[in-house]
Amino acid sequence: MPEVMLDIKNIYKNFGDLHVLKGVSTTVEKGEVVVIIGVSGSGKSTLLRCMNLLEEPTYGEVWMEGKLMTPVDPYLHFDVLRTSKTYKGLVAGGLSDEEAIHKIKDEDLLKEKHPKTEGPEYAALMKKIYGDYHIDINLGRQKMGMVFQNFNLFNNKTVKENITLAPVKIGKQRLKDAKKRGETVTKTAVDIEKEANEKAMKLLERIGLQDKADAYPSTLSGGQRQRVAIIRALAMEPDVMLFDEPTSALDPEMVGEVLDLIRDLVKSGMTSVIVTHEMGFAKEVADRVIFMHDGVIAEEGTPEEVFNNPKNPRCKDFLSKVLY
Amino acid sequence: MVFVMNIVKIMTKYWKVFLLQGIGYTLLLSIIAVAGGAFFGSLMALAKRSRLKILKFIINAIVAVVRGTPVLLQLYIGVFVFPLIIPKLSSLPYIYSVSIVLIINSSAYVSEIIRSGIEAVDIGQMEAARSLGLTQKTAMLSIVLPQAIKNILPALGNEFIMVVKETSLASTFFVGELMTAYLKVKGNTYLTMECLFIVGVLYFALTYILSKILKAWEGRMKARA
Ligand SMILES: Nc1ncnc2c1ncn2[C@@H]1O[C@H](COP(=O)(O)OP(=O)(O)OP(=O)(O)O)[C@@H](O)[C@H]1O
Ligand SMILES: [Mg+2]
Repeated sequence: MPEVMLDIKNIYKNFGDLHVLKGVSTTVEKGEVVVIIGVSGSGKSTLLRCMNLLEEPTYGEVWMEGKLMTPVDPYLHFDVLRTSKTYKGLVAGGLSDEEAIHKIKDEDLLKEKHPKTEGPEYAALMKKIYGDYHIDINLGRQKMGMVFQNFNLFNNKTVKENITLAPVKIGKQRLKDAKKRGETVTKTAVDIEKEANEKAMKLLERIGLQDKADAYPSTLSGGQRQRVAIIRALAMEPDVMLFDEPTSALDPEMVGEVLDLIRDLVKSGMTSVIVTHEMGFAKEVADRVIFMHDGVIAEEGTPEEVFNNPKNPRCKDFLSKVLY
Repeated sequence: MVFVMNIVKIMTKYWKVFLLQGIGYTLLLSIIAVAGGAFFGSLMALAKRSRLKILKFIINAIVAVVRGTPVLLQLYIGVFVFPLIIPKLSSLPYIYSVSIVLIINSSAYVSEIIRSGIEAVDIGQMEAARSLGLTQKTAMLSIVLPQAIKNILPALGNEFIMVVKETSLASTFFVGELMTAYLKVKGNTYLTMECLFIVGVLYFALTYILSKILKAWEGRMKARA
């Protein structure tokens, strides 16, 4: 059985009246490399940002390593739906179980309804599922690294500080929490800083930028910045990496160095979701390709299936424009 | 010639009133207003980003009223109203109520400056911090605010200088700052022009030195990063 790392369940995302994601479901397995392609505006970035909750999905659930990152979506749990007053009312009104569930989902009858108005049984079940599976959003994010199109290195920190900031802050917080719980801790805050520094230097060596440790990001080239951004994410030792067009903002001559690093990473087994317009790279590294169109997954399969034999006409059309 | 002679005469007799009492109280009021303004203004700017609608509404209302009415009016209202709310104030000199008004006034302006400073920081900075699993608070304090503050230093400096000048309005209540010193000495000597000149030079010197100090500080902040 492959181990599911990231489970995206029926994600909808609305920005006001703009419906950007319209029911996206997919799972990412441990070690898998998923590449997302599609035209501009099809919702690729939004989907990726929903995975680590930088965007809050309007409906649907995000599960990371068996833990729920979003609130419970009652539409995804029939047992919850069936406890709602709305459902009971519909069934009492003569609808079958299936009809009632369909009606509730299709007409969004639970929308914005406080659990309380759906009865104590419903509220209790929602709370139980949440309590059993929910993980703090920050804990969830610590397991997912994200790389942005525009690098987003911290401008007010040196390269090394960029890399050590999160490990040090979070490490110290964990230490504090452990002490509060009365656990015996062997590490001190100083150890945490020292370890983070050593790790940062090792990561910098890996990308050959150790001499830039004390430089500020503004003095780096685009390619260097993106490589630092990638190792900044790696310093948190994530289980999944999310890349949002990591080379789109780069001068052509710097694309290679960044792709090389990402290739290294995925070859070493890092589970990754990559949004990219680099089709050659996608073909090369992907275990699975997702073609997004108009807020849904329009085609999905191995690179061979999607690139050589696309079934969806939109996908065919898209590929004919980007492949030569 | 007479003018200069008069100024010399005034200064020999009343230098304490101008230089010690006048400048002293002007600086005291300014520092109270700016320190209080920086503290409460930061809190207000952060509170305005919270999800609590009521809190946002109250802060927006305060800022709107403060910006939409003259400081002098605010001082009058404060001096009459605060002692009704806090009875202890009625037995204390006006300078207490005046200080509170100036703090509220400067908080409102500072909060707007900080808010615009925060908004000017690229949203990607916050997103990158959050994507690493840092809390909103840590991201704000370690990444966004330091960058925001660097951007708003010139505006904060201007606000400081505005405050120094606005303290002159407190002379309406004879609290002892530079403009009060002017009123006192003019009342005794009837030398209006000379007294105005002295006070004008002193205000100018204060704000000029202040702006130089702020510039230097700004430069130092900019140099780091
Ligand atoms: N915060 C937002 N507020 C409002 N609309 C948004 C927001 N973010 C994205 N959108 C809209 O959602 C749609 C999809 O955007 P998204 O960034 O996901 O597309 P994309 O597939 O990543 O495109 P690209 O290839 O250009 O990056 C676009 O129409 C965009 O304008
Ligand atoms: Mg995008």
